[in-house]
Amino acid sequence: MASGKLASEALEPTAGTVAAGKRPNPRLDQYRRTFYFLRRNRLAMFGLIVVLFWIGVALYSPFYSAPTSHLEAYCSSTVTEGTNSSCAQTVCTYEPGTVPTGTPPCYQVPFGEPSVVPPTISLHPLSLGPLPLGSLTVDPALGIMYNIMAGLIKGAPWSMGIAAAIVGTGALVGLLLGSLAGYRGGYLDETIMRFTDIFLAIPGLFLVLVTLAAVGIYFTTLEARVGILIVTFVVTWWPIYTRIVRGQVLVTREQKYVEAARASGAGSGRILRKHIIPNSLYPVFVQLSLDVGTIPLLLGAIIFLGYQIWPSAYFPEWGTIAAYAVENLQGFLLQCSISSAVAPCVFPWWQIFFPGLTLFLFCISVNFLSDGLRDALDPRLRR
Amino acid sequence: MWVYIVRRLLLVIPVIIGVMTITFILVSLIPTTTRVAAYTTARDAKPGTPVWDRAIAALGLNKPVPVQWGIYIFNSLTLHWGYTSPHSYATQVGKLGSEAWPVATVLGWYLPYTLELAALSLIIILAIAIPLGNLSAVYRNRPLDQAARVLSFSGYAFPTFLLAAVVLLAAVVLSGGFAPTCHGLADLYESWWGSWPPPACLPGSPTTLPSWIGPHLNTSPTGFPTLDALIHWNTPAGLYLAWQSIQRMILPALVIAYTYTASILRFVRNSMLEVMNLDFVRTARAKGLPERVVVNRHAGRNSLNVTVTILGLTFAFFITGFPIIEDVFQLRGIGYLFAISIQPVEDFGIIFGSTLLLTLIVVAANIIVDVLYAYLDPRVRLG
Repeated sequence: MASGKLASEALEPTAGTVAAGKRPNPRLDQYRRTFYFLRRNRLAMFGLIVVLFWIGVALYSPFYSAPTSHLEAYCSSTVTEGTNSSCAQTVCTYEPGTVPTGTPPCYQVPFGEPSVVPPTISLHPLSLGPLPLGSLTVDPALGIMYNIMAGLIKGAPWSMGIAAAIVGTGALVGLLLGSLAGYRGGYLDETIMRFTDIFLAIPGLFLVLVTLAAVGIYFTTLEARVGILIVTFVVTWWPIYTRIVRGQVLVTREQKYVEAARASGAGSGRILRKHIIPNSLYPVFVQLSLDVGTIPLLLGAIIFLGYQIWPSAYFPEWGTIAAYAVENLQGFLLQCSISSAVAPCVFPWWQIFFPGLTLFLFCISVNFLSDGLRDALDPRLRR
Repeated sequence: MWVYIVRRLLLVIPVIIGVMTITFILVSLIPTTTRVAAYTTARDAKPGTPVWDRAIAALGLNKPVPVQWGIYIFNSLTLHWGYTSPHSYATQVGKLGSEAWPVATVLGWYLPYTLELAALSLIIILAIAIPLGNLSAVYRNRPLDQAARVLSFSGYAFPTFLLAAVVLLAAVVLSGGFAPTCHGLADLYESWWGSWPPPACLPGSPTTLPSWIGPHLNTSPTGFPTLDALIHWNTPAGLYLAWQSIQRMILPALVIAYTYTASILRFVRNSMLEVMNLDFVRTARAKGLPERVVVNRHAGRNSLNVTVTILGLTFAFFITGFPIIEDVFQLRGIGYLFAISIQPVEDFGIIFGSTLLLTLIVVAANIIVDVLYAYLDPRVRLG
């Protein structure tokens, strides 16, 4: 890191801000410099803002409770006097004991009513309005519906938490094994890399699904199922990180500053900890942030393929909500094609649009951010 | 060259054994009751009954684990991949009847469909990614580069299942809305969905598909649907079915291409940027060659080497997208087979068989790519 510090003093943003006589914290300095380069990248800043927004939503979500009066308000505003009372009665009661906590309430509409509610904002002063992002029909036959906005808000911590857990654990494993393999070399290197070859040969999603299909039956509670999901993803993902870290360590190992550290008597543990790992971190970081965006998409894909991850179907997770929306699409198309006399043909665009937009925005902003970070962290790519 | 190929082939052996060991471990983790139930005709066999004992003996579960492993590896290598379960959902949907088919046979019916789709999407990806990546590197950080990157990023960030469903919907709407195309209501999607049109849509409205399409939609003589249809071009339905087969693959291939162009485009761009900074490109420019010749002949040819490697890697990625795409479009490929086998009741024979098959394909693709790379770049085989 010695060479890095020398270079930093010559650079623009820090030189002016350092007060005379005070020794600045070099690490803080470096963060400030990274952020300076990041701020010049417009796409990366867009990504940062969106990611921060979603993190904010995730932090807010425990305090959010979906207003149960949404559908009642909707019914009273759209349905005539005579059917009003029956409409109000069919609002599904929300019992926290029977469904996992964090599940948004479901709604039930009587037969004959359209089993979709478009995005509607009421003028009712006390509520957010009935279903601001519309409803998601989970069971068209029973008329059971979801509040999409509640699902997306409640889903933020689940989606991002699971993604962070998977990627964090995977990167940690990769960092340990990769730096060991790259630094020690020899038989250890050979063994670890042959293992990564084996795991990389199996197509990713297949390994996840096969593992879930084989062992999923042993895990029944919500915590256990989320746990096994994370473990399967980590099993699939670690070789990628291991390979990246090893490649980077092989380069870093030969640098002059590592040689200098060794010459001044540092042990291999210290060299690994202080010199090699910090300097081979950034490619992992880039790959890691790319994967964070992909995991909610993959969760959605798994649900869409028909594998039940969650103990109940009404689980707030972005990918899951999108998967249900797409599955319902065909039902609505069929309804439209058979006859428009049975029920008014409504194309529920909001069911696909809002969950899709959430996933897309999250994934693409994480991508932009990681791209910007790569440019900002790698001195060779700075301009 | 031959030494290199032999060495490369020898390296594959531990990978294949390792992959089979992983699947063996996963198979062993499946509860015994599930395995016996899938094997026997008496579904509720209890431990101690003769049916149970016979199933245990037939499955080899009474032997010590290393022997089981040896048998499993031997069977896997000799394509004895077990039998389909007559009780599974896949058997119902795939119309396999109450017979237990050898998994390898069933996979053989479905594989050609996947290979045709993969070939078509690979062609589209290459046709888009290589020119666009080169242009993007030449016009680095100009509007064209930015647009290409945003476009490819967006493909990466869309949930595949959602994109595929929306594309299918758009195609249905644009090609004439919801009016039934041939006969009846069942063919709502028929013009874009599935691998073959219903017989009634064929010229002359026969009641069955032509005889070269077998009962399980296995075609003869080659097994490749489009190819077989072209071979039978002089029969009444031949040319029409060939056109239908291609038409039904175009949309899924486009979706796959859009989703996976991003990573290839990025690699092409980066390798092109690297090559453009090399000495021989500068020499070529200094000689006064026109920029077009420098880019196409000197830089383009050299960055192609890297692209070939990336192709092999991407093949592993993009094969993971097949279950989703083939499930949405109901194409009769391995991915579709996998998707229906993962639903309860699972068909473990097909799940593990298709995973093994696709892994072998990925491994084979990697070997081909490595050999090709060695052929293109003498430094690899001599170094």
